[in-house]
Amino acid sequence: MQDSPPGRKAKQDAPGSSKNDDKARATELMVSVVLRSGVFISAAVIAFGILLLVAHGLKGVGNDLGAVGNYPHAFGQVFSGVARLDPISVITLGLLLVILTPVTRVAVSIVAFAMEKDWRYVVITAVVLFVLVVSFALGKAGS
Amino acid sequence: MSQLFVQFLVLLGISVVAGIVGSLLGLGGGIIVIPALTLFLHLDYRLAAGASIVSIIATSSGSAATYVKDRLSNIRVGMFLEILTTVGAVCGAFLAGLVKGTALYAVFAAVLLYSLIPMGRKIATELGWKRPSTSIRRQPPMGAPDSFAVKLGFSGSYFDPAEGRSVAYSLGRVPIGATIMYFAGLASGLLGIGSGVFKVVALDTAMGMPMKASTATSNFMIGVTAAASAGIYFLRGDIDPLVAAPVALGVLVGSLVGTRLLARLAGASIRIVFFVVLAFIGLQMLFHGLGVTL
Repeated sequence: MQDSPPGRKAKQDAPGSSKNDDKARATELMVSVVLRSGVFISAAVIAFGILLLVAHGLKGVGNDLGAVGNYPHAFGQVFSGVARLDPISVITLGLLLVILTPVTRVAVSIVAFAMEKDWRYVVITAVVLFVLVVSFALGKAGS
Repeated sequence: MSQLFVQFLVLLGISVVAGIVGSLLGLGGGIIVIPALTLFLHLDYRLAAGASIVSIIATSSGSAATYVKDRLSNIRVGMFLEILTTVGAVCGAFLAGLVKGTALYAVFAAVLLYSLIPMGRKIATELGWKRPSTSIRRQPPMGAPDSFAVKLGFSGSYFDPAEGRSVAYSLGRVPIGATIMYFAGLASGLLGIGSGVFKVVALDTAMGMPMKASTATSNFMIGVTAAASAGIYFLRGDIDPLVAAPVALGVLVGSLVGTRLLARLAGASIRIVFFVVLAFIGLQMLFHGLGVTL
């Protein structure tokens, strides 16, 4: 009996780890759902914007892709454009939703780690979210 | 039909192909779509990178959703290392605004050619030029986790259906892996790519994570890394919606198709063709970046 540390270890781990496992599983599923729905929603918004663009007869856009045009590149411009159902603004909103999907994933992970009472990872994840928020702030300052 | 609409469809078509090829080869869509946009459509590198970074986030989020659900991605390892990749990506995105476009071509070419090395090895093994050393060499350093790995709880396991068993692993050499991750983020932000190759090197080669878990964890990290530079690209005006929208949708659809085709088409011959084509493209981008005309 005394020379079976693996067996004893497994017995010790079993109850605690299965409880932790349930919570970890919940975290994984939450992260998975955020990612998948983010992709679906943003793709749908982009597709809707393209339909609007076609419905408007492609008005209000230049005739050359890639010529740095007057498309919106600030959050305010995008939101006011979306309110007018401006096709280019709707497409841009969809693209922003793509970018915000991983950001949301990070924010949700903070909550999930807090539910697991894994405070070390709450802090680590909060640092990542901080870097992401700072990147937007720096981008604004630098633009 | 207006000229713009035609260009839109061309972009969409090219991006679907890029997405298919990217997922067939296990490279990101970005590393395929950027040469297509710059070399063939003569788009400005910055706009190509802006479109590419959005497409990378979309595909990474989609595939990571599956990997996380299947417990292949190690969320904790990914989360911690994302501190390094996001800081690197912010630095890279600002650096991209400072350096000349031609310099970006040259750096991109170097990364593309480097990315082909693992593919070349795989082809060589399949053709029997090289013994398959992977299973022997790639044993994770079991029982050798460093103090960082212990503190951060860096271990994990995943179920391998091919082997019909659960594979447990622990990680070591965290400082080396973390340093490589910073540079992976830097390359991602600078070039508008996912730089999955570097992330896998950090996880698999440096830290000893099994290849399947490394690929899945790298994929999980790519979206967050790219999001850190995408905001800067957007606010700088590098994300042209009429370029980024078809590219993002195209690469996303293409990679979904590619994943389904993978089982049927993953022969060595098809990979050799792409290997040669990509090597040629890499050299062409290198010459363009260095100002050499052929």
